[in-house]
Amino acid sequence: MNIAQQIVNGLVLGSGYACIALGWTILLGVARLVNFAHGQLYMLGAFATWYAMTKLGMPYPLAIIAAIVALAVLGALMQSAMMGLVMTQNLTSLMIVTLGLGYVLQGGSALIFGGNPQTLPGTLARAKVDLGSLWFTWQDVLVLVATLLLYGAVWLFTQRTRFGSVIRAVAEDPKLAELFGINAKVVYLLVFVFECGAVALGAALVAPRSPILTSMGFNEVIMTFVVVVLGGIGSIGGALVAGLGLGLFIAFFGAFIAQAYTTAAAFAVLLALLVVRPAGLATK
Amino acid sequence: MTALESHSPRSLPLLRTAAVVVLVAVGFFLPRLLGGTSVAYSTLTTIAIFAVMCYGVDVVLSYLGEVSLGHTLFWAVGGYAAANLSVKYGLNGWSTAAATIALCIIAAAFLGAVTLRTREFVFSLVTYAAAVVAYEIAFNWDAIGGSDGIVGISALKLPFGFTTYVGATQEDLWPIAFALLLLTLGFIARFRRSRLGTTALMVQMNPPLAASLGIDPRKVRLAVFVISAPITGLAGWLYAYQRAYVGPDMFETYFLVMMLTAVVLVGRRILIGPLIGTAILIAQQNLLSLGGDWNKIILGSVLALVLIFWPTGLIGLFRRLSRTKA
Amino acid sequence: MIKSIKLAIVLLLTMSAPVMAQDIKVGTIFPLSGGAGPDGQSVTNAVKLAVQEINDKGGLLGRKITLVSKDDESTPAVGVSRANEMIAEKVDVVIEGWNSPVTLAMQPILARAGILDITAVSKSDLILSGETNPLAIRINSSNGFDAGVIAKYVVETLKAKKVAFLTQNDVYGNGFQTAVEAEFKKLNFSGEVMMTEKFAFKDTDFRVQLTNLKAANPDAIIVTNSSNSSGLPAMVEQYRQADLKSAFVGAVGIMLPTVFKVAGDANNGIVSADIYFWNLPPFNAIPESNSFVAAFKKAYGVEPDKSAALGAAALQVWARAVEATKSLDRKTVAEAIRGKTIKGTLFGDAQFLPNGQLQPRYVVFKVVDGKTAKLEALQ
Repeated sequence: MNIAQQIVNGLVLGSGYACIALGWTILLGVARLVNFAHGQLYMLGAFATWYAMTKLGMPYPLAIIAAIVALAVLGALMQSAMMGLVMTQNLTSLMIVTLGLGYVLQGGSALIFGGNPQTLPGTLARAKVDLGSLWFTWQDVLVLVATLLLYGAVWLFTQRTRFGSVIRAVAEDPKLAELFGINAKVVYLLVFVFECGAVALGAALVAPRSPILTSMGFNEVIMTFVVVVLGGIGSIGGALVAGLGLGLFIAFFGAFIAQAYTTAAAFAVLLALLVVRPAGLATK
Repeated sequence: MTALESHSPRSLPLLRTAAVVVLVAVGFFLPRLLGGTSVAYSTLTTIAIFAVMCYGVDVVLSYLGEVSLGHTLFWAVGGYAAANLSVKYGLNGWSTAAATIALCIIAAAFLGAVTLRTREFVFSLVTYAAAVVAYEIAFNWDAIGGSDGIVGISALKLPFGFTTYVGATQEDLWPIAFALLLLTLGFIARFRRSRLGTTALMVQMNPPLAASLGIDPRKVRLAVFVISAPITGLAGWLYAYQRAYVGPDMFETYFLVMMLTAVVLVGRRILIGPLIGTAILIAQQNLLSLGGDWNKIILGSVLALVLIFWPTGLIGLFRRLSRTKA
Repeated sequence: MIKSIKLAIVLLLTMSAPVMAQDIKVGTIFPLSGGAGPDGQSVTNAVKLAVQEINDKGGLLGRKITLVSKDDESTPAVGVSRANEMIAEKVDVVIEGWNSPVTLAMQPILARAGILDITAVSKSDLILSGETNPLAIRINSSNGFDAGVIAKYVVETLKAKKVAFLTQNDVYGNGFQTAVEAEFKKLNFSGEVMMTEKFAFKDTDFRVQLTNLKAANPDAIIVTNSSNSSGLPAMVEQYRQADLKSAFVGAVGIMLPTVFKVAGDANNGIVSADIYFWNLPPFNAIPESNSFVAAFKKAYGVEPDKSAALGAAALQVWARAVEATKSLDRKTVAEAIRGKTIKGTLFGDAQFLPNGQLQPRYVVFKVVDGKTAKLEALQ
């Protein structure tokens, strides 16, 4: 029964990783923008949800939407500020600008929301499901279902709609896309807004598992890194498979070898893969 | 004809050398000029050490155009080498420094080989992954210090034939730190004019030309990366003696952010850019600290705003101001 | 003419002003921002209150105490900067330490500058090893003593036959586990240690470890988790969700107010121990403790917890020693504390071992109502 439960654990962990990684991988694939503020945006998404529920009295579903909207607006502002650097593809400066913005978000959130841990009541995180001897919560189910739906929706959008092909064109070659009349600026803006909205959704769903702190963020999204590089930068299907796979790896490595070394193991696997197949993960 | 124009062209480099000598002398006596207190010495020593730490990243950024997020690894290697070898085997400063350089070269050769075909953010992410793995190893390996690290690192001993220079106090460590800084600056000034340096710049700026000249960009990448490592490593080496304590905190983002910020704040390929950047950051932290949260906001805003308005760094602002004046 | 007369008057006045006795400066270095910010604030507030109590009674050696508080941001490099600032401000003592690495980094700096350094909370054994600070003093208990209390409870009171460990993977957690296992040997423990599950300090999801522990089904699980703001409350809740039947025995001192606040009645039934409770004997019979509790409640709206008590005790111990020796000299004051007994602190009589460790008085407790943090003292 241990193995079955660990599989469940792995899927729960993995769907969380995949959910949080989606926005980051798309942003990276389309705009080649390494968003170092991802962790702080996750934290902010969690606090926006908390604020909406506890201070504005919204029910959980509304609070999720409120968080997504709030972060989308923030993302629009951030991207507008960075637009010059994005258009000139000054990638190193962009990386550090997002790092700086992340710091501002962290310091600002600490001043606004304080340093104490908060919980998100009214979610499904306490609603347990007992399936024989297996256990998980309805929140875990929600995360898995929402992740699959989100990935499905995004895949359909980018592969089947006109705007999706516009985005893929800009990702391939922005200059060429501009020649064809595509406004790359709008595309970049929308992709960044999507990343912020997606991480807000991820935070609203995953953060209720444990108390939230304004100092969190970095550790929570460190696995995103591994998921994105393993799955292939910009690859939607890859991120899903890598996320779920990583979750299962963490669960089994932790259960049968040593849980304390899972981060090291995940990164070691990443490094090993990159040694063996660096070309497959290099960009143009 | 002005006084300057009346000078023969041959005396200009002489003027330059004189200016450098004066600057070096002022720099050396700076702690004394600022009061001679132990705090003045320790602050300037810290600035010197952190500046050297940043120069390693600067070399990679300036000559390869890449952002290395893994130089905390070399910083830590230097610190841990100094700590372990001096505490466990009583080795003197020269030996620990030599070990630092050797270990950094080996680590950089390995990491450089791994990242040979990666570019831009993949390169950054891979170097970062390497630092994370190294952190986990350092944290869990009790033999080299474990999660609490190594305490009681004795003072730096540098034997010179009959006498031994002992870095017991901050005043004693300052000349060593200053010397290390000068050595680093001199090395980078020379590197800029060296064959490897100019080749690396050419590969970065004009890849087709480099290819047509038969230059192997991968060899150049590896060489530059390997050269950058011991610079940061030696900074970590000296830090271990200054702080008398080394632990997994050497891998913390505190140092990584300082490296990145100091290197881009002033501008690229400006010799004293990282030094000025480091000095600004340490000064803010020590003199204008408004508490952890406000410090983050200030640091983050400065970083973001400077790079948004002057993507080449503060030098862009400086140039604009000097142009409007003229 | 008039200008120079004015100048002369000003000069006369300033030169004839009475020379005031210089204030005594006490410095505190704790994390005031970041994850441990609220904890560090609480300790700093307690020191502030203890200073005020002394100032209200006429000061120390007839002089007023001023407090200089700094934030180490839980980062050793920042702590070192703050320590250097304390040296520049010429403080007479520094009370510091929530995170052990920060304490370990600051110790040599303060020792070299000849400033007395009292560690309030950091638990590492290296702090008292004497290598970086031969005159170290620490108020919080050490793993060695803690292990004795927990091992005794598990072996003799609980009479557990099958024990498992859920241990934080660092020197603190591993050190505690090693110490408990050593105590088991001393007590001739006839049961077995079934398994050890480990986790990282920053982890907040423990279902993998809890699944393994549930399958093993020990009588008791000894839990060592110092992440009182996020990891530990999450662990308590997940422990209940996973429906583990094993007794949850917490390491000494981990059940801080935030754990109760966040995990609420999931804490019910947890057994642990600590070295200070404002409302349990023997502390509620100590007059200094009661007056401090009243003042703290008045100033900050809550009763002081163990961490606040450690901060206040550090100040009180130092102040009493200064009064007794009539000196602010580092060596003199330190030697009046190390290996000696300081009376009149909120811990009652504070007995110190020669290595600077305060001898703790433990109370083993069971959580009766997690929501209100109602505890029942055992034995």
